[in-house]
Amino acid sequence: MSKKVLIVDDEEVIRKFLKIHLTKLGYEVTEAADGEQAIEQLGKDDFNLIICDILMPKKNGWEVIKEVKSNPKMKNIPFIVLTAKNEDSDMFKGYDLGANYYMTKPFTKAQLLYGLRLMLHEAPEEIRV
Amino acid sequence: MEMQFKMDDQERKRIILALRWTAIIVTSYLILFGRGRVTNLHLSHILIAIYIFSNILLYFFPKTWFSNSKFFYPLVLFDTGIVSFGMYLSEKMTTDFYIVFFLIIIFASISRNFKLLMAIGGITALLYGVLLYSWGLLTTEHGSSYTLRIPFIFIMTAFYGYIVQTLTREKREELTISEDKYRGLFENANDGIILLRNPQLQIADVNREVEKVTGYPKKELIRKEIFDLFAPEEIEKARSYFKEVVEKGEGRADCLSLKKEDGVSLEVDLSTKRIDLGDESFYQMIFRDLTEQRKLEKKIRESKRSLEAIFDGIQDHLSLQAPDYKILRVNRTVAENYKTSFQELIGLKCYEVYFQRTLLCEKCPVSLTLETKKPASSIMKLSEGNTTLKIFSYPVLDEKGELTSVIEYMKDITEEQRLQEQLIQSEKLAGIGILASGVTHEINNPLSGIIGMAEIALEEDDPSKNKDYLKDILTCAQRISEIVKGLKSYSRAAKKEDQSPVDLNEVFEESLKMVHLATKTISVEVIKQFQPIERIKANMGEIQQVFTNLITNAFQAMDGNGGKLVLSTRSLKDSVEVKVTDSGMGIPQKYLNQIFDPFFTTKKLGEGTGLGLNIVYRIVTKYEGTIDVKSKEQIGTTFTIKFPTRRVEV
Repeated sequence: MSKKVLIVDDEEVIRKFLKIHLTKLGYEVTEAADGEQAIEQLGKDDFNLIICDILMPKKNGWEVIKEVKSNPKMKNIPFIVLTAKNEDSDMFKGYDLGANYYMTKPFTKAQLLYGLRLMLHEAPEEIRV
Repeated sequence: MEMQFKMDDQERKRIILALRWTAIIVTSYLILFGRGRVTNLHLSHILIAIYIFSNILLYFFPKTWFSNSKFFYPLVLFDTGIVSFGMYLSEKMTTDFYIVFFLIIIFASISRNFKLLMAIGGITALLYGVLLYSWGLLTTEHGSSYTLRIPFIFIMTAFYGYIVQTLTREKREELTISEDKYRGLFENANDGIILLRNPQLQIADVNREVEKVTGYPKKELIRKEIFDLFAPEEIEKARSYFKEVVEKGEGRADCLSLKKEDGVSLEVDLSTKRIDLGDESFYQMIFRDLTEQRKLEKKIRESKRSLEAIFDGIQDHLSLQAPDYKILRVNRTVAENYKTSFQELIGLKCYEVYFQRTLLCEKCPVSLTLETKKPASSIMKLSEGNTTLKIFSYPVLDEKGELTSVIEYMKDITEEQRLQEQLIQSEKLAGIGILASGVTHEINNPLSGIIGMAEIALEEDDPSKNKDYLKDILTCAQRISEIVKGLKSYSRAAKKEDQSPVDLNEVFEESLKMVHLATKTISVEVIKQFQPIERIKANMGEIQQVFTNLITNAFQAMDGNGGKLVLSTRSLKDSVEVKVTDSGMGIPQKYLNQIFDPFFTTKKLGEGTGLGLNIVYRIVTKYEGTIDVKSKEQIGTTFTIKFPTRRVEV
């Protein structure tokens, strides 16, 4: 059974290429365009990984982390923050709120695979860098 | 006092009438029963009737007349005549009696002492009685008429004596009163008065002020020669002065020095005049101590000098102008700047000198001050060069509050303005810094898209799919290009020359976009209420700076908690209005009057410069606009800006 990944980002193009990459790697991908949709999807399904943007309309990434990490059912889902906010203070804030990994935009496929390996303890051939 | 006088008048009238009655009775008796008998009985009866009638008539005369010599002397003359004539009729001039009568009158008239007169009258009456007795006249058949003469002498003496005595006493009183009055004036005068004998110029009298001022006692001064009072070095001057006084009868002299008792000299102004008192003549010399006046003059000179020093010491242009704009005074800076002397500028009109104009300047603050009597100011650019002047005018009012002149103060603010421009520029750079993180984020998103898509395209063998990926890459690149374009317009230097008609709606929209990049916060509902408005002539960069600052503040006020941002524009009569309303935390009342101050910030160090609103204020006022803020804590804040549409070109 393939693992399920939730991609949360208001940028369509980013969701698009993330989905192509992850699908190729054999993950089942669900998309959400903002924080509200993310929470909705999380309620519907069990996920093995969340990749989430911070600056989004309606509900931002910080709020999504808070909700996920305060929900006993979800708090063990690995949470990757993927954001353009690249200041140290933002990164610390992310980890403080309970994010498991903090990735900044722009990023390469290799950086993405490294994060996946770290979070899912898997080592697909290509991930080796 | 008046009461007292009335009592005296009343008393006097009564006494005179009583005395006259007595005189009438005695005279009548003498006439009717006198020794010589009356030759013409009719005449004597008429005489007695007249005498009685005159006294009755006197009852109706006002009592004040009895004190008036003009009435009194004729009355005495009348009485004397009647009595003399009566005696003539009774005696037929055969006896010595009438001589006694005239003797009485002479006694009375020369007497100044009533008691003495009465004593003399008494003695004379007694003597006459003794004489009559020794001649044996008292025992003759006319004895009774002779006996009557004795009280007659006494009564007539009393009558005439009283009249003469009261009259002379009054004269004396009058003199005493007037002398006291003049003595008082003399003694209490604030000026020193010295009476000098003519022609010796010897001191006859001095008043108290002379004693006080010179320090000499009066008795030491009297009989001194006037020249002894002058300081040794001034004696020659004093001599020539008095020579002139003697020649002309009067004279003035400024600034002679008297020598005081302690040797110190005393500066005085002199005025001397000859006065003739009967046979004697005097010089009245009045002098005034100038020491206090000199001190005061010195003080005035000193304060004038220090004011002049301040006036000249000011390094900006300062001039005093009459209400017709003519220059009354200029300070050194003006004279130096125009390479001319003070005198050459005086009388010229300010606009001729400073602005080379023939007519009044359009934005003349002096004309405003002339109208309102209040200070005014305006900014003017000189026709030549790049100099900008700020001109202040202050009214000079007299004691009644009437405007007498205007002080015009001109300050060269060219450098100040340049620094201000620089400050605006640097604040803009600071603003760019704040925007940078937001912009980075905004660029990083499409950049991630490009990188991600490019990597996928590289791995993809199917060219048909690649086309799709390339399209995405292009879209992302175009987005980046847009952002950069926006930044460029923002950072464009705000140069003065760059003024052009600006569509505020357009700039508003663009500014919003810019800020949006930086503060892409969730759930801020942006409501735009733009009306078509007139373009205003301005520098677009500066207007954008105003809007981005206000919009950024609005977003920050809502601090990621969401809210509503209303941007509106509308056209008013002579202006356009721009409003930025947020539903943020609001500004505490205590800060409201400080928010436009430079470097005022409630943010932590490094988070804000405190220049943002100050720059907004400066830019708005530069375009002669107004900015107004209304704020309520926890409700929100509204900034309202109005720009005039027909702005006078500066």
